[in-house]
Amino acid sequence: MDSRIMIVDDEDMIREAVEILLESEGMGIVTAAGGKECLGHLKAGFKGVILMDIMMPEMDGWDTIREIVEHGLYEGNVIVMLTAMDSPDERMEGLQEYVTDYITKPFNTDSLLDSLRYYQSLLQLETGINDRQ
Amino acid sequence: MTANNIVMIGVSTGGPIALKHLFANLPPLNAAVVIVLHIPPGMDYRIARSLASVASMPVTLAGDGEYLHSRRIYLAPGGYHLTLHGNSRVVLTEGAKVNFVQPSVDVAMKSLLKPLRRKRIIGVILTGMGKDGAEGVRHISEIGGVNIAQDQESSAIYGMPKAAVETGLVDFVFPPEKISQKLVELLSGQASYSSKV
Repeated sequence: MDSRIMIVDDEDMIREAVEILLESEGMGIVTAAGGKECLGHLKAGFKGVILMDIMMPEMDGWDTIREIVEHGLYEGNVIVMLTAMDSPDERMEGLQEYVTDYITKPFNTDSLLDSLRYYQSLLQLETGINDRQ
Repeated sequence: MTANNIVMIGVSTGGPIALKHLFANLPPLNAAVVIVLHIPPGMDYRIARSLASVASMPVTLAGDGEYLHSRRIYLAPGGYHLTLHGNSRVVLTEGAKVNFVQPSVDVAMKSLLKPLRRKRIIGVILTGMGKDGAEGVRHISEIGGVNIAQDQESSAIYGMPKAAVETGLVDFVFPPEKISQKLVELLSGQASYSSKV
């Protein structure tokens, strides 16, 4: 079964644009208007690629990732920042390991779709290329 | 027989796709390729398997005590620092994060020793936030190696490559596809080492 995509963004227009784009490609999508809603989806069992905005009210993208990691909700997911910030601020320090990619808005739809398909394929790989030491 | 030459690649956010582009057209090299990617445990094997599907060389997670061999790609596992003993044997250690990360590119690169005559060390810094790898680049230059950095345009985050270039010790700046070509040239002994950027 294909893993799903979660778009976490406080802007309705962005969520709707991404939702329409991904649904037209047959991708399953879940939306969250903020960090708390994102955490709720993860606690309910969401596994997949999380497209995360940085600048959001109440809980921003970095705080949301810290909560994901601290609550043990990262495993089985890929986090991709989808942001208007050309480059990340220093608050990303310490979170590099958990941020697989960084895509800036406005995004190229073909490039976004290619990246999402690639990250979905990563999550579908089975364990055991060789034994961990 | 252990590897004659070593290519050590340091990379972070944006790395999986940059590595995919780098390895997609790279023929087997007369070198062991060691990748230090900022990645948590649990994701590392997925990256290794994914790279194995596009690379012309076998890809494995580096194991503690393992000897490096040419024409193979070794990915540092998440949650450990990777160092090389005598430029040939992998040592994995736990401990404090360095530059906020584990594995750290600086830790891995600074464990490299001056190579024996006719053996080559090549450092590559790809996309990523922060400055991990800059000290490693400095060290590789000091021991007579060659440094390559990803260009700004193709980097998801131009942080680590920028910090590397700002040392003044990076020899070549390219997108991933051209880094592949340069690795082939360098390891076939055709290229000049003289063009510092």
